[in-house]
Amino acid sequence: MLLQSAVLPDAGWNYFLSIVAVSLYVSGTAVALSTLASLPVALAVGFGDFPGKRAVAAVINTGMGFPSVVVGLLVLLLVSNQGPLGELGLVFTPKAMILSQFVLATPVITSISLSAVESVGEDVRDAAFALGGTDADVALAVIKEARYGIVTAVLAGFGRAISEVGSILIVGGNIVYSDGTSYTRTLTTAITVEARQGRYEAGLVLGAALLALVLGVNWLGSWVRSRGRGRGSQ
Amino acid sequence: MSPPDRDDGVEQAARRREDSADSRRVAPARSTDERAPTLTADDIRYAYGDEPLFSAASLSVAPGEVLTVVGPSGAGKTTLLGLLGLFRPPDAGTVRWEGRDVWGRSDEERLAIRRRIGTVFQEPALFNESVARNVGYGLRVRSSWRDRLRDAAARAIGRTDPSDRVREALETVGLAEKADRNALSLSGGEAQRVAFARALAVEPDVLLLDEPTSNLDPRNTAVLEAVVAEAREAGLGVVVATHDMHQAERISDRVAVLLDGTVIETGPPEQVFDDPDDPRTRKFVTGELLY
Amino acid sequence: MPIQRRRFLQTAGVAATLGLAGCTGGDSTAQETTTTGQSADTGGGDIGDGELVLATTTSTYDTGLLDALHPPFEEAFGVTIKTLSKGTGASIRTARDGDADVILVHARGAEDKFLQDGHGVNRRDVMFNDFVVVGPSDDPAGIEGMDSATEAFATIADSGETFVSRGDDSGTNKKELNIWGQSDAEPSGQWYQQVGKGMGDTLVQTNQIGGYTLADRGTYLSMRDEIDLTILVQGPLQGGPTILKNPYGVIPVNPAKHDNVNYEAAMAYAGYLTSPRGQSIIDNYTANGSQLFFPNALSEEPNFGQYVPQGYSAEQAESLSKRDRQFLYWVDTQVPNDY
Repeated sequence: MLLQSAVLPDAGWNYFLSIVAVSLYVSGTAVALSTLASLPVALAVGFGDFPGKRAVAAVINTGMGFPSVVVGLLVLLLVSNQGPLGELGLVFTPKAMILSQFVLATPVITSISLSAVESVGEDVRDAAFALGGTDADVALAVIKEARYGIVTAVLAGFGRAISEVGSILIVGGNIVYSDGTSYTRTLTTAITVEARQGRYEAGLVLGAALLALVLGVNWLGSWVRSRGRGRGSQ
Repeated sequence: MSPPDRDDGVEQAARRREDSADSRRVAPARSTDERAPTLTADDIRYAYGDEPLFSAASLSVAPGEVLTVVGPSGAGKTTLLGLLGLFRPPDAGTVRWEGRDVWGRSDEERLAIRRRIGTVFQEPALFNESVARNVGYGLRVRSSWRDRLRDAAARAIGRTDPSDRVREALETVGLAEKADRNALSLSGGEAQRVAFARALAVEPDVLLLDEPTSNLDPRNTAVLEAVVAEAREAGLGVVVATHDMHQAERISDRVAVLLDGTVIETGPPEQVFDDPDDPRTRKFVTGELLY
Repeated sequence: MPIQRRRFLQTAGVAATLGLAGCTGGDSTAQETTTTGQSADTGGGDIGDGELVLATTTSTYDTGLLDALHPPFEEAFGVTIKTLSKGTGASIRTARDGDADVILVHARGAEDKFLQDGHGVNRRDVMFNDFVVVGPSDDPAGIEGMDSATEAFATIADSGETFVSRGDDSGTNKKELNIWGQSDAEPSGQWYQQVGKGMGDTLVQTNQIGGYTLADRGTYLSMRDEIDLTILVQGPLQGGPTILKNPYGVIPVNPAKHDNVNYEAAMAYAGYLTSPRGQSIIDNYTANGSQLFFPNALSEEPNFGQYVPQGYSAEQAESLSKRDRQFLYWVDTQVPNDY
C-alpha cells in the first residue's frame, strides 16, 4: 500500500499516481485561482495612483515570505468545525489545501506580475488607448506585453505551491484511503511519511517525481517564452 | 456617432476620398474656412498639480487641413495633443467634436468619438507582436468580443491572415513586405512608419502627431511627410506638434504658436513665420526667445 | 469468547455494534437513545455521510495495522475511513475541535481528561503492547538488562549520553515524561533532545546519532530492519516493569458536543475494533515476524473501568440526591412543557 521500494507493485502504482494527481490538482487549482486574483491586483497597484500604494506593494512583498506552516495553522483555525468557516466542512479536504496554497501562491504571483506589469511602459498603455482601446483593452494589452513576466510569476507560484509541505500537512491531514488511493496526500506529504518510517529509497522516488514535475513545468514555461521570443527575427 | 462596421467604413472612406478630391479642386486647400472644424479646443486650461501649463488655449482643425503646433519644449504641446485625443478632460474650457462638447456626453459616445481620432507619439510604442498584428490592433478593439475570441482561436491554430485594411495601411507606409516580422525587431524609422500605419488602419477623421519625426533620419522623415500629405488629400484633419520650423513650413496649412500658456497666434505658415502679428512669435521664430 | 455476541454482530448491523461498544456514558444517554433509533432505519448501508474521520497515533498507522483493519470495516459498513495520523495529543486536540469522529490513542491520562470534558463518550479498551527503552547495541550508558525504567532513565541522565524525546505531546511522549517525573533525574541539558516528530522519525533520528529513546514496541518491531537500535530495557510483555505498559483505547466523539460528527459510524468503528473479528485481525497482525499488538477488548469478566475515567467511582461521585438531580435535569430538558 505504501511505496515499498524503488520497484512499484501494482498497488504502489495506484498509490503513486493518485498522489501525483492530488498534487497537481491541488497546486494547479490553487495557482489558477491565485493568478485570477493576482492579475487585477497587479494591474491596480501597477497603474493605479492611490494613497497607500507603496504600503500595499510592501504587504504583497512581505506575503512572499509567509511561513507555510503559519498559513496552514491559520487556515486550519478558519476551516475547523470550531472556526468561522466550519459550516462548510472543508477541514481535511483538498479544498482546504487549495485555500492554503492560494494564500501562499498569491503574493508570489502578484509580486512578480507586478514588476512585469510595471516594466510595461506608459507609452504602450497610451498607444492602446489612443488606438481606441477601452480600459479593459488597455489592461489586456498590458497583460499581453507582460506575458513572459506573468508566465514566470505563475511558474514561481506553482513552484511554491507544489513543493510546499507545511500548510497542506496541517489542513489536509495527509489522508490516504484504505485502498491506497490518495485523498489529501501529496508528493511532499508522502515524503514525510516515508521519511518518518526510515524508507528513504521510497522517499527518494517520490522526491524524484516531485523534481521531475517542477522541472517539467519550468521547461514548459521556458519553451513558451522562447517560442514567443523566437517569432520574428530579433 | 457610433463606429462604423467594416463594410460601411470602407465605403465611407472611399466617399470621403472622393469628397476631398472634389473640394480640393473647387477650393484651394489653404483657405479652409468654408469647412466646419472637426475637432476644436476652446479656451482650455490644464495644470499639473499647482503648476499651470496653459490657461486659455484655443485651436481647431478641419477636414483636409494640416495644423502645426509649434512652441518651445515644455510649452505643453504633448499635453495639448493629449487633451485633443481625449486622454483626459481639461480643467476648464471645452473640447468639441463637430461643434459639440465632448466631455458632456456619455462614455459610449465619447469612446465613439475617440475612435475617430488617431494618435502617433514621438516613440512608436509598438506591441511585442507581429507588424500586421500591431496594425490590426485598432480594428480588433473595435470588433465584438465574439469576433476577437474567434480571431484568437484562429491564431492559436496558426491561421493568421491580415485584413485588407491592414495590408493597405502597410502599403501606404511602404512596409507591406514586413507584415510578418516582429515589430520590436524593426529599425526606429520603420517602427515609426508602422505606428503611422497602425493609426491609419482604423481610417480616422483626425490624426494627431506628436513630434512624429524628431528621432528619424531624413529619408524616413520624407516618407512620413508624404503620408501626412496623403492623409490630408484623403480629407483627414491633421494636427502635428513639432519643434522643427522647417517641417512646419513644409507641411502646414496653418501654424499655431503655443507660448506662455496659450495659443498666441494662428495663421498660414508664411504669415506666422514671415510676418507675425505677435512680437513674441517673431522672437521665437528668430530664436531670440530663449526658454 | 462470547459466542452469542458474535452472532449478534453478524446479523444485526449497526444497532448491535452500538450495543457491543457499550452504553454507559453518563451524560450521553439521551442522545444515544435517539441515535439507536435512527440506526435501525439506516440498517447496514452507508452510515451518516458514509465517511469516518479517525484521528490516531502514528504508531497504529506506521506499523501498517490500520491497513489490515480498515478494508473489512469499510466493506461491511459502506463507510470510507479518512485517517489522520498525528500523535495522541494532536489527535485529541483535533477531536476536541470536532474535526474528527473517533480517536484511537494511547495515553489514558489524556483520554480521561477528554472524557471528563465531555468531548468523548463510550471509551473502550482495544489492545495493548508495551514500551521499550532502546539504544545503541554497545550501550555506552550501561542500562542493558535493568528492570526499572526510572533507574535506566536516571542512569542515562547521569552518563550524559544523548536521549531523544518525541517532544510532540504524543502518547509515547506523555509516557516518557511520566517516567522522568518518577525518576530522580531531570530531563534537561544538551544530552536531552526533543525532536517533535513521530515515532518512526524519532527512531530513525536516534539511530543516526547513536542515542537512547523510549519507543512503543509495535513501531520498533515494524522498523527493526531499518535501524540498528536494540532493546535495552524490556517492557512488561517480556518481564519488564509495568510502568512501560501501553494500552490503546478507542473513543467516539460526543455528538451532543459536536453535532457535525458521524457518531453512528464512530460507534460502528468502536464496535468493530472491539468485536471478535476486529480483535482477531489485531491478534494475527505481524511485522517482521513479530506480533505487534495484543487485543484486550473481549473478556468474560466485567471491565467497567474502561468506560469511565480511571478512579471514577459511581458510589462516591454520585450521591442519591445527585441522581435525583440528574433525572430532574432530563425531565427538564427532554419533556415538552405542555406534556
